[in-house]
Parts: sequence; C-alpha cells; structure tokens
Amino acid sequence: MEKSPAVFQSIYTSNYPKVMRLCLGHVNGDEAMAQELAQETFIKVWENLSSFREEAQVATWVYRITVNTCLLHFRRKKRENTVELSQQLAQPEAEDHLTKQDQITQLYACIDTLRSEQKSIILLELEGIPQKEIAEVMGLTHEAVRVRIHRIKNALTNCVQHENI
Amino acid sequence: MKTFKDLQTQWKNQEEVQVPENGAERIMTTLTDIKRKQRLTNGILLTTAVVLICFFFYVSAFKFQTVLIGLLLMIGSLFFRIVLELLSLKKLRSMDPLNRAVEYKRQMIRYYDRRRIIHLVITPLIILTYCVGFWLLLPAFNSSLSAGFYQYIVWSSVVVLLILGFFIGRQIQEELKVLRGLKE
Repeated sequence: MEKSPAVFQSIYTSNYPKVMRLCLGHVNGDEAMAQELAQETFIKVWENLSSFREEAQVATWVYRITVNTCLLHFRRKKRENTVELSQQLAQPEAEDHLTKQDQITQLYACIDTLRSEQKSIILLELEGIPQKEIAEVMGLTHEAVRVRIHRIKNALTNCVQHENI
Repeated sequence: MKTFKDLQTQWKNQEEVQVPENGAERIMTTLTDIKRKQRLTNGILLTTAVVLICFFFYVSAFKFQTVLIGLLLMIGSLFFRIVLELLSLKKLRSMDPLNRAVEYKRQMIRYYDRRRIIHLVITPLIILTYCVGFWLLLPAFNSSLSAGFYQYIVWSSVVVLLILGFFIGRQIQEELKVLRGLKE
C-alpha cells in the first residue's frame, strides 16, 4: 500500500475508536495508558504502511498490531488508579442502578482478571470481529479460537454476576 | 442474570471514543522526533567514546601497566555494556509487530529471557570488572592528587555506583515484571 499521509489519515480516523477501546480493555480502563498504547500502535501502522499487502483487510492488520502492542503494556507505569474489581464489587448499589459507565468499569475489571491472550481474544469478540478474523489476528486455528471464546465468555459472565469471587 | 450478549451490548453502547484532532499528523511528527532523538543518542555515545580514548592518550596510560589495565577494564566494561544495550535495542526493534499475536508473544518471551540473563549474570560481572578497574587506579590517584581531591574521587565514585545500582535495579525489576506478565 502506498505510504501517503492521506492513506494514513483515513486508516487512523476509521480505526482509532476501535483501537482505543481494545487498548482500554487491556489496561483496565486506564485512559492515559490506553492513549499511549493507541499512539504506539499507530506509529507502527505508519512505519509499516508500505509493507501492508492488500490481500488482507486493513482493519485485521491494524488489530494485529494493536494486540501485539497491548501485549507489552506491562512496560508502562499506571498513570491513574484504575478501579479494582474488589472495590467494584463492594459497591452496595443494585445492578439496575449502575450507570452505563459503572457497568463498563465493572466489565473492565472482570476483563482484567483474564490472561493477556484471553483479553485480546474476548475484546475482539466484544467488538464483534468475526471469529475467523480473530484466528487470523492471533495466529490460532478457527476451532481453537471458538473453544477459547466459549470458555472465556463463561468466565467473564460469571465474573460480572459475582459468582466466582 | 446477565448473558454474554448483554455484555456485548453494554460494550458496544459505551461512550463514543473521539478521534483526536490532528492525531494522524501528530503521529507522523512523533516518528520524526523519535528518529532525531536516536541520532542524538548515537552522537552522545560516540562523543563519550572519543573523549575516553583521548583521555587514555592524554594521561599516557599505556606507559604505566597498572593504570593501563585499570583504565582498560573500566572503559572496556562500559563499552561492552553499551554495545550489549544497543544490540538488545536493535533486536527489540527488529521484532515484527505484524506477526501473529501468538508468535509475537513467543518472540517477546525469548527476548526478555535473554534480557534476564544479561541483568542477572552479565551486568553484575560488568559492574565488578568496572570496580576492579577503578580499584587498580586508586594508587595512581593517591600519588598524583591532593589528599582532599583523592577522598572526593573515592567517595563520589561510591555515591555514583549506588545511584547507578539503584537505576539498574529498577530497570531489572521492570523488565522482570514484563517477563512475568508475558508468561502468566
């Protein structure tokens, strides 16, 4: 693909929200850290733009770079205090009274209990990426992804329902 | 009772992420800045090397065997560490972010395993070699410098070593944390 600012601008604009959501999910909703990871992801996208072969979808290619970048988020220090799962669960509010943001924070906390590879898989699933594409991003077979997603879905749903705490 | 479908709906209904204004332009500029900084770092390292070599000839270190060995040990261990860091950095940069995630993770674990050997085995040996070199130079310092300045050199070197040790220790801790995270 041609490495032109216009092409990059278009990739950036159409993929930034998804990249940012994936990064937020990897770092328990720490916005400053997610922004850094998203920036690092797009630096790699810009650097490697000319090596992108158009037989794959641009979005799949961007997700792969995002997942690889977020894998190394341990290298960064937390900028803000993210809400711990135990604190979340200690909230006396009934589920129906949780605001939209509270629910997302709770979901982040549950995702944070997963291993990094599981996080990547389930975040892509939450984004509605087809399983075949997730397999392509992760380098796993479609069947392996299907089985893992099934297990992670159960674990995540249980966590949100406070059953396994 | 929530199902995964509910969680997915929650996820999709979260607040819209705003695309930063001029974000793409800033990314392209950041990359130019990073490359400029890399060139600056290489320049500083090269200047340090030249200064050390000039100092070596300025004090005619080659005429005195103990001073020669001491200086060579100090300079050699420093250079060895710098070369090792540069090679590690080159290796890290050569990791292809376009690889499939599982393979990329495997590569990163291999990289950080090697870094662990550098930190836990090679770095202590390098620091020891540097200290031996410094210790060999002490008699020469003692005979050619005033007592006050000699004391200053001895004590300041201890302080520098402690500060350096602190930073190296912190770096090691951070990299081991990454390795643990990758292996979890």
